[in-house]
Amino acid sequence: MSDIPMADHERIDFSRVSFLVVEPNRLMGQMVRDVLMMLDATSIERARDLASATAILRLGRTDVLITEWALSVNGGGGTGMDIVDWVRNDPASPNRMMPILMMTANSEEEYVCRARDCGVSEFVAKPYTVNGFYTRLAAAIARPRQFVRIDDYFGPDRRRRREGHYDGPERREPADLR
Amino acid sequence: MARKKADFLPPPQDLQRRAVNFTKGYRLKLEPAELRRLEEVVEKATDAFTAEVAERLRQLRQTIADVAGGNDEPQAMRIIRALSLDIKGMGGTFRYPLLSAYAKSLNDFAVQVDRPSAVQTDILAAHIDAMYVVMAERITGVGGRRERDLLEALQTAVEKHMPRHG
Repeated sequence: MSDIPMADHERIDFSRVSFLVVEPNRLMGQMVRDVLMMLDATSIERARDLASATAILRLGRTDVLITEWALSVNGGGGTGMDIVDWVRNDPASPNRMMPILMMTANSEEEYVCRARDCGVSEFVAKPYTVNGFYTRLAAAIARPRQFVRIDDYFGPDRRRRREGHYDGPERREPADLR
Repeated sequence: MARKKADFLPPPQDLQRRAVNFTKGYRLKLEPAELRRLEEVVEKATDAFTAEVAERLRQLRQTIADVAGGNDEPQAMRIIRALSLDIKGMGGTFRYPLLSAYAKSLNDFAVQVDRPSAVQTDILAAHIDAMYVVMAERITGVGGRRERDLLEALQTAVEKHMPRHG
């Protein structure tokens, strides 16, 4: 038996994935599209604002959402976070567990935490390298995390580290429930 | 308030089953040659990037003139914030990290200022001038000593003239 880990053999066939790229910056949107096409993706839709993005998402043919945080104001306002909230929580959302990549130049920790708490799968800080973008895209597709529903949060498990066996008390519950 | 216990749902596997395989497509870690091909996509867009930044810098200069003229300063500052954030996001992607650094410094300042004073307007304008130089001289990478000194000076000016809230 080969001692090469399975992950080294795994491949992603991007021709079988449908993308929606929401990016008001024409050049950056075109670049994401060109990179996806170079990866053999054939189904790539684009939007620049909240209204047109949700209109496409409602059709139910999107597998992966790649969205910028700051959107064009022409679509009635709203941000990429509103799209994430719609996908994760709106009854009309056809796939609440869709992988979502958030791309933004708002790369400070505060924004990363807000995106995580809204249910983003992967965060891509601009400016980014193509390799950084690819790594997060591949993780979102090939390594989906379990989902969590608690209080007002529905989205991927926000804990990334797996610490193995844990014997202690349930950390998600406050002391008064134990 | 007591929190409910979390419900855990297994990761969705439809997409994974459809797209992940052992024969066709790209490995989770790209081969160097594959990565080079993707980087070429970015390189091919460099001319378009230069034109896009030039247009944004022109808009920034126009907006600074509006600010100096006292024309609807809060709206002008919103435009400056949006344009500087846009440039920050593009620069490093196209091998202009110094441009991103200047744009970040400008954005950090602009988000704190609604009605800039004369000195604050000068600081905003100095950032825009610095970005013009980066593009005119085509300074890719992080620049040399002079460019880093200028960045430090801009950041010092921002720190010194940042409005104090609260």
